[in-house]
Amino acid sequence: MSNLVQSAKGALLLGAIVALIAVAATLFAEPFYQRIVFIFMVNLIAVIGLQVFMGNAGITNYGHIAFMGIAAYTVAILVTPIAIKKTALANAPFGLAGMEFGIWTSVAIALLVTVVIAFLVGSMLVRQTGTPASIATLALLVIVHVVIMNWVDLTRGPRAIYGVPVKATLGWAAFCAIAAIFVARLFRDSRWGLQLRAASENIAAASAMGVRIKRLRLAAWVLSAALLGVAGVLFSLFVGTISPRSFYFDLTFLTLAMLVVGGVYSVSGAVIGSVVMTVGFEITRYLENGPSLAGIKLPEMFGLTGVFLGVTIVLCMILRPHGLVGGDEIDEIWRRRSQDRAAGGDVS
Amino acid sequence: MIGPNGAGKSTLINAITSLMQVDEGEVTIAGRRVSNTSPQLCMSAGLARTFQNIKLFTRLTVRQNIEVALTSGQRDRAEQTAAIDVGELLAWFELERIQHWKAGALSYGNQRRLEIARALALGPSFLLLDEPAAGMNAVETTALISAVKGIRDRFGCGVVVIDHDLRFIMTLCQRIFVLDAGEIVASGLPEEIRRNPRVIEVYIGHERSKKHAGS
Repeated sequence: MSNLVQSAKGALLLGAIVALIAVAATLFAEPFYQRIVFIFMVNLIAVIGLQVFMGNAGITNYGHIAFMGIAAYTVAILVTPIAIKKTALANAPFGLAGMEFGIWTSVAIALLVTVVIAFLVGSMLVRQTGTPASIATLALLVIVHVVIMNWVDLTRGPRAIYGVPVKATLGWAAFCAIAAIFVARLFRDSRWGLQLRAASENIAAASAMGVRIKRLRLAAWVLSAALLGVAGVLFSLFVGTISPRSFYFDLTFLTLAMLVVGGVYSVSGAVIGSVVMTVGFEITRYLENGPSLAGIKLPEMFGLTGVFLGVTIVLCMILRPHGLVGGDEIDEIWRRRSQDRAAGGDVS
Repeated sequence: MIGPNGAGKSTLINAITSLMQVDEGEVTIAGRRVSNTSPQLCMSAGLARTFQNIKLFTRLTVRQNIEVALTSGQRDRAEQTAAIDVGELLAWFELERIQHWKAGALSYGNQRRLEIARALALGPSFLLLDEPAAGMNAVETTALISAVKGIRDRFGCGVVVIDHDLRFIMTLCQRIFVLDAGEIVASGLPEEIRRNPRVIEVYIGHERSKKHAGS
């Protein structure tokens, strides 16, 4: 029980960082930067969702953005007004063209659909581990993308769905991000999270301890998908226009890079990685366009953001293979330091 | 259980705990078949084990390693032979001071002890130790012997120790089986084993030939 109190305290610390960013953006930032902060919140939730599965089950996941896409599309199809559907989704199956749902109903259905699909996919996926499992997640990403691209009646295929009511606010995004931090942290430090992390290190030993590995993997997978669903719903309801490209390799690798740079084994890593990568990404994007700095006109450097992404990952792999934060949560590191100090010269 | 390298000692433990499938025969505990089931089922039937190559959760702390075993608890708590808590296990194996260390950062002897503590946290009826003294120095071995000897009385479980070190087994065990090439060649009290001509031939012979080969 005391573990979970510690865990909640750690989540509070990380949540405070997120809240601070949100408040600062609301009070001081121009709409352009508020938009960047909103997308940061969405990406943060996605990265935390990714961490729940990858960090605890120890399986590299390339399929997480598929769930974001499923949720984003589902909510968009449900909530878009009938008037717009007449032109955009006139042939939508299941009578969806003539239906329009309220915002909360749409969100609830979208999350439910995401979780159900995650459960079905997960039931098959958790039998695998290591590279085969990772390849399966990659296949999931491609399959979902291909379905969205080709089920034209339902999704408009490669063309964007437009006219989704813009209902999400920065406040909601920040609230969801903080909630995601708490959920991820409590899961990580719960008995199930602990057992799953143990199993990810040593299957034989965990089995001998009676750990039900597949069941726990499935739980982490579904929880992860639910968080990604939240990210997808927020994205859809903020941007108002979604297309298949929004939920494919670009976002997959951006979120993976955020998590790997921060540290895959901790929620702190997910948060710090997201912050660092977003700041770096925005700075390089600014430089990319050839701005004038202190009177000097810089050349345009297209592709600089891509270089930044690649170089950061490579440097991280070389210098800090476990990410900026390392294997532990920040509060755990602090607590251990103070314990060591209390133990005096005992620990060298 | 004692025998030279390759006698089938670890294989036997792996078969008992369903880490390996058996082709013939079956293993039962109190009438319940555990062979060819799953490690999880063996655990709930009351078996706990350590591994020849230490298998700790190195990224977790000492305390968390034990907590994994305590909380996985599919074993009916009422079935457990004794109520066990983390603090007592840590104290018993002198791991209290380092309970917040990562298991991977421990010395070899401490890793061995932690593995036993973790297995005991399952509240087993039988504890199977696969070469617990391997790689330990004399001081660590002596400490291990006294810790293991107390297990049966305090934690109320039977302890099966597998090793190839004759002296270690003789000091620790009340009843000894000698295994060679997959067969039990002798069994009995330590004194009987010491005098058994087949054991001397099979086991001590191995030791001698190994020594000659080494010198």
